[in-house]
Amino acid sequence: MIRVARAELLKLRTTPGPWVVLGVSLVLTALGVLGAFVSGRAHGPAFRAPVTVDQLRDLVGSGYLGEALLMTPILGVLCITAEYRHKVITTTLLNTPRREQVLVGKAVASVIWGIFMCIAGLALVAAMGLPWLSAEGGSVSALLRQVGPVVPGLLADFALFALFGLGIGILLKNQVAGVLVTIGGTFIIEPIVYQLFRHLLQIDLDWLPSMAAASVAGGLTRGNGHGSSQMVMLSWWTGALVLLAWGLGPAVIGYFTTFRRDVT
Amino acid sequence: MAVAPPATGVPIEVHGLTKHFGRVHAVQGLDFVVQPGRVTGFLGPNGAGKTTTLRMLLGLVNPTAGTATIGGQRYRDITLPLHQVGAVLEATSFHPARRARSHLKMIAIAGGIDNSRIDQVLELVGLSGDAKRKVGGFSMGMRQRLELAGALLGDPGVLILDEPSNGLDPQGIAWLREFLRHLAGQGRTVLVSSHLLAEMAQTIDDVIIVAQGQVRALGTLASLMSATQSAMRVRTPEPDRLQAVLLSVGLTFQREGHDIVTIGGVGPEQLGPLLAAHQVVVYELTHQGINLESLFLSLTAGLGYEASPVGRANPPVQVWAPMPQDQAPPGPVAPGPVAPGPVAPPGRRPAHAAPDPTATWAPPPTQPPIPPTPPVPPPETPSGPPSGNPQ
Repeated sequence: MIRVARAELLKLRTTPGPWVVLGVSLVLTALGVLGAFVSGRAHGPAFRAPVTVDQLRDLVGSGYLGEALLMTPILGVLCITAEYRHKVITTTLLNTPRREQVLVGKAVASVIWGIFMCIAGLALVAAMGLPWLSAEGGSVSALLRQVGPVVPGLLADFALFALFGLGIGILLKNQVAGVLVTIGGTFIIEPIVYQLFRHLLQIDLDWLPSMAAASVAGGLTRGNGHGSSQMVMLSWWTGALVLLAWGLGPAVIGYFTTFRRDVT
Repeated sequence: MAVAPPATGVPIEVHGLTKHFGRVHAVQGLDFVVQPGRVTGFLGPNGAGKTTTLRMLLGLVNPTAGTATIGGQRYRDITLPLHQVGAVLEATSFHPARRARSHLKMIAIAGGIDNSRIDQVLELVGLSGDAKRKVGGFSMGMRQRLELAGALLGDPGVLILDEPSNGLDPQGIAWLREFLRHLAGQGRTVLVSSHLLAEMAQTIDDVIIVAQGQVRALGTLASLMSATQSAMRVRTPEPDRLQAVLLSVGLTFQREGHDIVTIGGVGPEQLGPLLAAHQVVVYELTHQGINLESLFLSLTAGLGYEASPVGRANPPVQVWAPMPQDQAPPGPVAPGPVAPGPVAPPGRRPAHAAPDPTATWAPPPTQPPIPPTPPVPPPETPSGPPSGNPQ
């Protein structure tokens, strides 16, 4: 199994798709940090450096997890659909004929790459935000104390969101469809559905993917489509289980419907 | 990284293999055995079910019925399959942005193969200088070579190749022909499908001809050719003596001109010794036997080139019986039994003995261990033309 996972990681490293996803997420992260400081300055002399979770969320959350995290499922989609698009699936299944092993290997590789994206993003936030925070007179140590508790959840979010994309990719097999479903689902459909249920039926759909992700990160992230202060969140572990289910559900359905089909 | 010992050739066995794609019966009850130490050609027109059969053999397509095993195991049950089986299925299974070396490294990691093999196989197929190039910039022939390199990474005892000469230049084809013969000479099992019949005729020992998903003929190429109606053209200063000899052994013939006799239903292996035994002077002896292409066309004529829908399948023309499992040797099958010749040395054709009803099966010779890397010259410098196939 380690061999399969290593091979899958090599596949990700040696194609441009995952790097493009990483690059876009870093750009979004950078824009988020810039936006937070610029909007903070706009508040004039009253601007205070972020020292609480809420303020921290305002600093990086909108850019970092509002968009950058939501790029992660694309990675998972590419991990499987690129194989079908370029017919590499034939080679993959000749190397590893047991298909369930291929899927587990891809899941491990997606999770590792997702964590890598998260660490890269955090490094960028630190590189940009901390000097800026110091220059603004904010307390770096106070910020780090706030960040520490949410980092594990942040890592878990990226890993689980990559898994979510992989599940969608296994189910659909088609690269364009997979990317559209994950992007459209999390950026467009989820906020609309959430708002409709919240305002028309007074129901909080806190089990939607980005909402569950917000729970796992302990409030650092913001669920799409609503203000964070009003957010009703699951416990972190419930959120993690819900997010895992969003990944495993399509993966299991896809395994029994599409992935076991003949490769002709 | 664990490196398995070099694999030895094992038989490929297909029994009752059937595949239906909806209403289309792509493969219908195939039965054949491919023996080690032989190059076996898997021939058939487009849509005959060749690729589907090979993909079922490799676990990519699930059979509707029947079994396909390699060394008695289904492909997906083989531990570290790349050490036992190398496959070339299509020259398009590459990510265009991935470099050739990375492609092979990916296979090596997944297959538990030492990285040192990568450079060896790249050199073997003549791609050492292109290892760092992206596959998207490769020609069809280069992709085919890369695919072959991937199949050879694990130094497997069984090679399954689907149209491996597609896209190769004449030099590459000649090299491949030598290479396959070399691998079979080492005792490996080589199953190769192709539509290049003239090319195959120079390469293969055994042949399986399929059409409409069914076996039409199988056996050694020599026995197939010999048992098929052929003729010998003899130019001799002693046509009357020759005529008497032919009459004495019951062969049919036809006089053409004053010094030419055409004898039917006989090949050079039978006629040569006969003429020598009776000391008939011969100026010219020409085999007018059918070649593989005409044999192929005669067996598949009128069958159509598409897979047969339900209820439309033509009854198979079983020219030879399936190889008996309990006595299948690395040789021909009944009813044209031929004593199996020794495993050919690298680059040489095995002797194709004449049909002999009294011949009996001999056990296959014990195969020596396979060295890790076949010392085959790169395609740019082929070692010379192979010996021809008697026709």
